[in-house]
Amino acid sequence: MAEHYSSFKRGGRRWLWQRITAAFLVVVLAFHFFLLHFVHHADEVTFAMSQGRMQELTYFSLMVLFLVTATFHGVNGVYNALINQGLSGTRRKATKVVLGVASIVLIVQGVRTAIAWAGGIPI
Amino acid sequence: MSQSYNRGLVEDFGRWREFSAGMWAWVFHKFTGWVLVGYLFTHIAVLSTALQSPEAYTTTIQSLESLLIVRLLEVGLLAVSVFHILNGLRLLFVDLGVGISGQDQSFYASLILTGAIVIASVPTFLAGVFG
Repeated sequence: MAEHYSSFKRGGRRWLWQRITAAFLVVVLAFHFFLLHFVHHADEVTFAMSQGRMQELTYFSLMVLFLVTATFHGVNGVYNALINQGLSGTRRKATKVVLGVASIVLIVQGVRTAIAWAGGIPI
Repeated sequence: MSQSYNRGLVEDFGRWREFSAGMWAWVFHKFTGWVLVGYLFTHIAVLSTALQSPEAYTTTIQSLESLLIVRLLEVGLLAVSVFHILNGLRLLFVDLGVGISGQDQSFYASLILTGAIVIASVPTFLAGVFG
């Protein structure tokens, strides 16, 4: 057996999107950590500071895109890891639905929070 | 002709003593991925206190950040994130066919760099928690 340790089917679209979102997340996750732990410190966080950042359209849209790509990358990673462990048939379909619903709930909740900070979409 | 090796299933964790560097990289990437996706849901749940009121959000974050255990967990989160980022970059390159022959070394480099970044960040992450 030739080596092929991957959670993805060769040539699949789930693999491609996992890699595309990864390339984006590498940069934005590093930026997120740097901004909120080194430029600002976690114990200095206040609603007003978060609001100040979120009222900038560039930051707001970057954070919403960050949420969507991180959710996709995380949930797609979990789904593919489970398939890799042998998940199939009805259980696979049920898992897909549960993970899909969880993703939608997470994104909706995150966007609602971002809008609460910004006091509306900052256009 | 390319060589192929039969190293057996990486999912068979019982034989972890026989794992090669690439198999450890796979295991660590999976583990850190599970932690990060779990944290993402927790993170949004905590931030959602902003929906209640500005005061509820500020109080929640500041109360959490005053706890040493939370700060230590944040250091753990940094370790997990940095490794996932560095090993993820390694995977992106390997998938593009770059650095395949040196993939063991790049895994060790990811581990060493993660350790160095985390140790250097400890003072910043623990600042102010001791009063």
